[in-house]
Amino acid sequence: MSQVAELTPALEDYLETVYLLVERNKVARVRDIASERGVRPGSVSPAMKRLADLGLVQYIQREYVDLTPEGMTAARHVLARHRVLFRFFRKVLRLPEEVAETEACAMEHSLSSETMDRMVSLFEFVDTCPQGQNDFLDRFHQCPIVNEDCEECEHGCDRSGAGAVGDQSLTGLAAGERGSVTRIGSHGAVRQRLLNMGMLPGTAVTIERFAPGGDPVWIRLGSSQIALRRHEAEALMVRPIPPENK
Amino acid sequence: MTSSINRDSISRVVLAGNPNSGKTSLFNRLTGARQHVGNYPGVTVESREGRLEIGNKSVLLEDLPGTYGLEPWSAEEKVAREQLLDHRPAAAVIVVDSSAPERGLSFFLQVQLAGIPAILCLNMADEARAAGQVLDVAELTNALQGPVVETVAHTGEGVDALLMELERILAGHLESERPALFHGELAVAVRSLASLVGEGGSSSLPAEYIAVQLLAGTVSGQEIDRVDSGDDLQRSVDETRTRVEASMGQDIAVALASAFFDGASRFVHRALRAKARADARASSDRVDQFLAHRVLGLPIFLALMFGLFWATFTLGDFPVGWLESLFGVIGDWLMAVWPDGKLEWLRSLLIDGLIGGVGGVVVFVPNIVLLFLGLALLEDTGYMARGAFIMDRFMRRFGLHGKSFIPMVCGLGCSIPGIMGTRILEDEKDRLLTMFVLPLMSCGARLPIWLLLVPAFFPPAWRAPVLWGIYFFGAIVALLLALVLRRTVFKGKDTPFVMELPPYRIPTLRALVEKMWERSWLYLRKAGTVILGISVVMWVITAYPQLDSYEVDRALETGELTVVAHGTALSPGEVTESEVEQLRQGEALRASVAGQIGTVMEPVIAPLGFDWKLGVAMVGSFAAKEVFVSQMAIVYSLGGEEEDGVDSLSEYIRRDYSPAAGVALILFLLIATPCMATLAVTRREAGTWRFALLQFGGLTLLGYVIALAAYQIVGLFC
Repeated sequence: MSQVAELTPALEDYLETVYLLVERNKVARVRDIASERGVRPGSVSPAMKRLADLGLVQYIQREYVDLTPEGMTAARHVLARHRVLFRFFRKVLRLPEEVAETEACAMEHSLSSETMDRMVSLFEFVDTCPQGQNDFLDRFHQCPIVNEDCEECEHGCDRSGAGAVGDQSLTGLAAGERGSVTRIGSHGAVRQRLLNMGMLPGTAVTIERFAPGGDPVWIRLGSSQIALRRHEAEALMVRPIPPENK
Repeated sequence: MTSSINRDSISRVVLAGNPNSGKTSLFNRLTGARQHVGNYPGVTVESREGRLEIGNKSVLLEDLPGTYGLEPWSAEEKVAREQLLDHRPAAAVIVVDSSAPERGLSFFLQVQLAGIPAILCLNMADEARAAGQVLDVAELTNALQGPVVETVAHTGEGVDALLMELERILAGHLESERPALFHGELAVAVRSLASLVGEGGSSSLPAEYIAVQLLAGTVSGQEIDRVDSGDDLQRSVDETRTRVEASMGQDIAVALASAFFDGASRFVHRALRAKARADARASSDRVDQFLAHRVLGLPIFLALMFGLFWATFTLGDFPVGWLESLFGVIGDWLMAVWPDGKLEWLRSLLIDGLIGGVGGVVVFVPNIVLLFLGLALLEDTGYMARGAFIMDRFMRRFGLHGKSFIPMVCGLGCSIPGIMGTRILEDEKDRLLTMFVLPLMSCGARLPIWLLLVPAFFPPAWRAPVLWGIYFFGAIVALLLALVLRRTVFKGKDTPFVMELPPYRIPTLRALVEKMWERSWLYLRKAGTVILGISVVMWVITAYPQLDSYEVDRALETGELTVVAHGTALSPGEVTESEVEQLRQGEALRASVAGQIGTVMEPVIAPLGFDWKLGVAMVGSFAAKEVFVSQMAIVYSLGGEEEDGVDSLSEYIRRDYSPAAGVALILFLLIATPCMATLAVTRREAGTWRFALLQFGGLTLLGYVIALAAYQIVGLFC
């Protein structure tokens, strides 16, 4: 789909809106498109012009647009991604509906079709495939990151490996703050020692205090308390866990 | 670890597990051995053995160093790995802290996977119960397919059950099934590698375990020889590892550690009937808010150290006085009842050699006992680890490690346990460096010297601060020397600092007394053996060869005698018989073997303000530092100067040496010539004579230079 590749996120959104309106009313009115997208009608026309130039929509009358067959395919493609993402955010990540909707909108434009395909198969695997019916998803949902009421598992979920957005060094946390370990960046003996002590991805770590001079750092890991130097603590990446509301 | 025990005829059982799991207490309970039990991770740095009878079997029980895993990273882990994997015990008791069972259990799973018959021992069960935790032991046994017992080492609870399980295992009753640990890609990888290893391998370890080790890259050289180490295997290992890492999105070390931990938490989860209250450690944490406080922590720490020394010296002084009087009374009594003219050499040996030599050392036992009690208290409460936490930043400035602080504080008791305690340092350089400077920490054996010399040269009001100052100065020199050595001989980057902080525990009186007694006994035994022997030798070389005639008498006859007493020259007629006798004995001493050695040394030590008498005593102090005191006592009592009206050795020393020489003497004894035993232990721990001799020579040279400087500088003022 060469045209799809040229679409900007905004155009993809317009295309999607047109598709939904056409599905509902057989035809899309510029005023409806504007109100659906929350913009002034004046802004809709240039976007429609660009889509028309790409051969995705065609003007029936001055105020009415319809999708071309190519436009129909492109819109379905975008929408499918949106739906998969939305369902993934809702069902797997258990995000609230509004959040899932917003995140899906933001993400659908940026994922390559290869990533999208993989995500779809993962989703299908956990959702429908009989091979996928282990307790993986249930266990994941008991994890404190997803389900904050649950204290059952200290580790066992969110082994995301490499540092992701929102990760920070353990030393970035203040005394009393918590984080979920995402990466153990240390090397050699110290890394193995930390692993053996239970410093594993997904484990919650709390900064208890700092020594005089701010170094070493005293952390709580599960039921044990460990002192490590700032240098070692810096190599540990965590995702901050918001404080529990009580 | 060589011993004459025939290991084939008896079963070998090891105790293994994480540090702070109460392993050594359990060992004491099982074997009845007097043992050192600490709260600091890695206090059990030596393998300890004990014998016990289980059923009709004789068992050699070995207490392995505390470890978190079997990867050969630190010295302790290497020992534990060797004892478990290479020497394959008949059974392993894996001791686990019941309050945090997952971590210990994941270690248990590794041992179980290695095919070693293992019992899971949930120790300190009372603490976990008090916190509200309930574990279903039967369920856990079921899940692990291996025996599980709950114990409380210090009360002996559960020990019978443990012995019963051991008996069953030694009789060969153990399920061969193991719970599955690996899933998905990892399981496939382990299985396929295991089948490769199984084909060509002749190892005593299960193929599955070797497969895991191959994946982790931790197969020992010895072990890899036993499995097929051909290129084919290596290639498939590398390929498999890459595949696992790619598909799991994490490296193999994380994947394996996660597999063991997941297994452990799954089993614990299954057997957990009631969780520990979240605030179980709250009281310990509250104490830490104060003791490990960012600002208050350091002053509290220093105050505690000062308190320890105040107690050692001030409180210890009373019983020291009583003991001194006791030995005085015994000496006087022997002198009074001894028949005149019979076996006078024996009387001299007993009174001058034994009571003077050994007694002079034994009187300081109260100080030593108090110091060791204080150290035991710091260790067993768990405060030592806080000390390392607080001190790390400071110690690091001098190229040392927060953990270096602990052997160094132990070195205040005795350099030997201190040097042995450096095993808690994982990095070789850190270890050697700490070991090198450790003798500068003024040890308990040097305390008698200070108690002799400080009153000799300082007025009463100065004594306590000077004593404190000696310890302080030793520590400062140690730190500065460490800094210099770190920048020159021991160049290298900072090493990792990862240390567990166990909760505070109220130590049992029994454990404290046992530990204090064990260490004090070492000191006393040294007094009874090495020092006894040296005292006799020193007495002999001080008393012989005897002179037949004296210069003094000849000079008296010819009227050429000049005696200078109290600053005025006396004419021969004014000299009393007792003064002549004193001169005779001084002459005899000078002519003795000891006197000759001292005289030979004199040119070397004269620039420090020392004479041959101090030279003799310093020769003795190489054998053991405290011998310096007994040596001085012998030198002076053989000089027959009791009638002088001066009854204390300190007084003699004050009379004979200048304050500048006194300061130089203190500094020289503090810094130079670590004792014979220190030299031997350093050689053993560092592995080379070169290092031990370098340390001995280096410190002696440093001591000489500092003492020389001090003598010259102080000499300008007094």
